[in-house]
Amino acid sequence: MAVSTATQASSDTKPAPPREWRRFKFPESLYRWGGVLLALVFVSYSIIYLNIPLDRFFNMFGRVGQLVADRYYPPEIDYVLEPDYLASVFDTIQMSYLGALFGMLMAVPLGWFGSYNMTPSRRFVYPVARLVTMSARAVHETIWAILFVTILGFGMMAGVLALTMFCIGFAGKLFAEEIEAIDMGPVEALRATGASELNVMAYAVFPQVRVAFTGIGIYTWDVAFRAATVVGFFGAGGMGWYLKRNILQIETYRVSAILVSIIVLVLIAEGISAWARARVAKAK
Amino acid sequence: MATAQATADQVERIIAARSKTKIVRLLIFVVVLALVFLSVKTTIVDDTDWARIGSVWNVLESIGQFIGINWSLVPNLWQPALETIMVATLGTLLGVVVCIPAIWFGALNITPFAPITYPIARLMMTLSRSIHEIVWALFFVAAVGLGALAGVLAIAVRSVGFIAKMTAEAIEDLDPRPVEAIRAVGGSEFQVFIYAILPQVLPVMVGVIVFEWEINIRRSSILGLVGAGGLGLVFFRQLNTFNYPGVTTVILAILVLILFGEMVSYYVRKAII
Amino acid sequence: MSILSVRDLRVRYSASGPEILKGVSFEVGADDFFAIIGPSGAGKSTLIRCINRLVEPRSGEIVLYGTDVLALNSRQLRKLRRGIGMIFQEFNLVNRMSVMDNVLSGRLGYVGNMVGLFRLFSKEDISRALSVLDRVGLSDHVDKRADELSGGQRQRVGIARALMQDPKLLLLDEPTSSLDPKISREVMALIMEIAKEYKVPVLCNIHDVQLAMEFCNKIIGLQDGIKMFDGPTSKMNTKKLDEIYAMEVL
Ligand SMILES: Nc1ncnc2c1ncn2[C@@H]1O[C@H](COP(=O)(O)OP(=O)(O)OP(=O)(O)O)[C@@H](O)[C@H]1O
Ligand SMILES: [Mg+2]
Repeated sequence: MAVSTATQASSDTKPAPPREWRRFKFPESLYRWGGVLLALVFVSYSIIYLNIPLDRFFNMFGRVGQLVADRYYPPEIDYVLEPDYLASVFDTIQMSYLGALFGMLMAVPLGWFGSYNMTPSRRFVYPVARLVTMSARAVHETIWAILFVTILGFGMMAGVLALTMFCIGFAGKLFAEEIEAIDMGPVEALRATGASELNVMAYAVFPQVRVAFTGIGIYTWDVAFRAATVVGFFGAGGMGWYLKRNILQIETYRVSAILVSIIVLVLIAEGISAWARARVAKAK
Repeated sequence: MATAQATADQVERIIAARSKTKIVRLLIFVVVLALVFLSVKTTIVDDTDWARIGSVWNVLESIGQFIGINWSLVPNLWQPALETIMVATLGTLLGVVVCIPAIWFGALNITPFAPITYPIARLMMTLSRSIHEIVWALFFVAAVGLGALAGVLAIAVRSVGFIAKMTAEAIEDLDPRPVEAIRAVGGSEFQVFIYAILPQVLPVMVGVIVFEWEINIRRSSILGLVGAGGLGLVFFRQLNTFNYPGVTTVILAILVLILFGEMVSYYVRKAII
Repeated sequence: MSILSVRDLRVRYSASGPEILKGVSFEVGADDFFAIIGPSGAGKSTLIRCINRLVEPRSGEIVLYGTDVLALNSRQLRKLRRGIGMIFQEFNLVNRMSVMDNVLSGRLGYVGNMVGLFRLFSKEDISRALSVLDRVGLSDHVDKRADELSGGQRQRVGIARALMQDPKLLLLDEPTSSLDPKISREVMALIMEIAKEYKVPVLCNIHDVQLAMEFCNKIIGLQDGIKMFDGPTSKMNTKKLDEIYAMEVL
């Protein structure tokens, strides 16, 4: 019924302009295809600009196999079972968890201050907290490692600090996002009882994010461990140092053994982290 | 009276239970703290050359060296910055190409032969995500020599895991109703793919790719450290010539680059939603 | 005698946005059970939330027990809020916490930061929580988690939390809208009894006119930010209701 009256009404007034529909809409489609074209030009130009030897690229697969077979196989497994190397593995593990721990201790307040809904001041505290987390994240962990090595000299302190910065950036962002996703109902209810902001955090926010924070914490450690395997490359302690030494000495069989050991350790760490996160998620 | 007594008992019981959990927590806390102290001692305290560091004043002094911007370096940064972006872009795109089999094998609802192909895909994803980009770059530098190609390959391989994992999950979560609808109007399997599957998966995939691209700028900015060109190489040169304000300048340049990447990624993701 | 008087209250959520409350005034007496009715979007929630300044009015005056609410600084505001119990439509409990802790959190305005942080509530607070839980009929659920309860039970926890505050005024924002009709009636009856027992005046947003007429002694009718009716329930009739809900009828 409604339909017929509607058509009647429109025919009463004046004939509807003939409607047209085209897939190509003048400015929008132009922008879109222009964008795609621009991207294609950029890509081809990049290949030329970077002087990428395409022939080498297409022959690469055979060459990589050849290379691995000739020079990296078999890995000298005995080398990675020597006590010195195992000690460095232990150091790496300690560095990763210390870095994750210190980083998260800093990331929790940064996450609070940098979450738009709970920050104490949207005008001042929020942008500062965001800037700190963003810079910590934007600078790559190896650059942090190099900087700390330059300032503090070789050793694990530089490594732990580099990993701390890395974890601040990594966890701080995730924590803030998690806090931004909470249900604000309990927050409001507790504010209405006259609770202080610290207690509102403890009672209304923390219980909601606890599980997620634990999961993020474990994940942060897992990612920090991957980073910890390489900070030693720049002198910041751990097994990366052995990697560098053997690359410089062209001890390729040892290099491949170290790479294998890194892969195995990272897989173990990832397994532990996945298992722990699943358990935490189930415990809720 | 009896009920008052009962209530008092209950209060006692609750308080006792609460203080008990508190004691357990405190114990755990103390143990963890002791472990942390031990690690701090063995890693930081024992492994540091305190004489080299000197006093707090010396540390502040060496941090102070980094303050300042080396303006004369700035014109020389354009080219490496462009290279960094190019390596990130090419690496991401190559990563997408390498991804396709991993996605196909890695989504449980379309994988051709689950017992074999699914584990292969999972292995690809895990290897890619587990190994640090520096290690990948070292490997490819050994394989194809110094230069941008090693960087592109390292970035590509490193990107596969995340893109493939997210896209495969999107395919697994596909809404089956549009598929049915296209089948119901008599569409062929190919049309089902074009009209029902692709429109659901493509936005997710593009979003993930752009996100990964943004991360890859950060990665490619340091691959120069192991001989793959870009800003990392400039960084290394400044450091080796003890030009510390130059180091700061390069870091700031990287920050700007990453900010640019975040902005592009923000707009592209907004455009596709 | 009036304990709460609101005069010419005006609210905008943003400087350029529409005026949500356009000069509302009313008085609440010591033993009033006020219902605020009106169509969706009329500004009922906004009005209730102005009383404890969860929403900041642009202008107007709110005087509660002789205190000028809008003149308080943040410290004084916290002290005021702890004396105003609030009950929400969605209960607003912390789902991952036990019923006991949810109820105890009503005391947070009275305890110091550290006491709250480490949950060191006193014996009196705990026995008070037990008796309040007893009063709302939840003594068997003390140690359960809030999300294990049914809707009606959750709202009872919400009531218990408000009672822990030793409230001098209760603000209810659609306390029964998430509950089925039978449970709604039970919860309203409980609130009414409690209000009488503790001698607290109540200000209650409510969608269901039937319930309002049944339990409240006074009614405010709001429409589009303007007060259309204010008086005892007995003066309310269908004609006036039609006026208030005019927008919805059309
Ligand atoms: N936080 C806010 N920011 C901006 N506008 C808001 C906000 N909260 C409410 N409004 C607007 O204020 C008006 C009144 O909202 P209010 O929630 O007070 O209505 P209500 O009478 O409680 O409606 P309901 O019966 O649906 O709960 C609505 O138009 C709403 O869009
Ligand atoms: Mg409302």
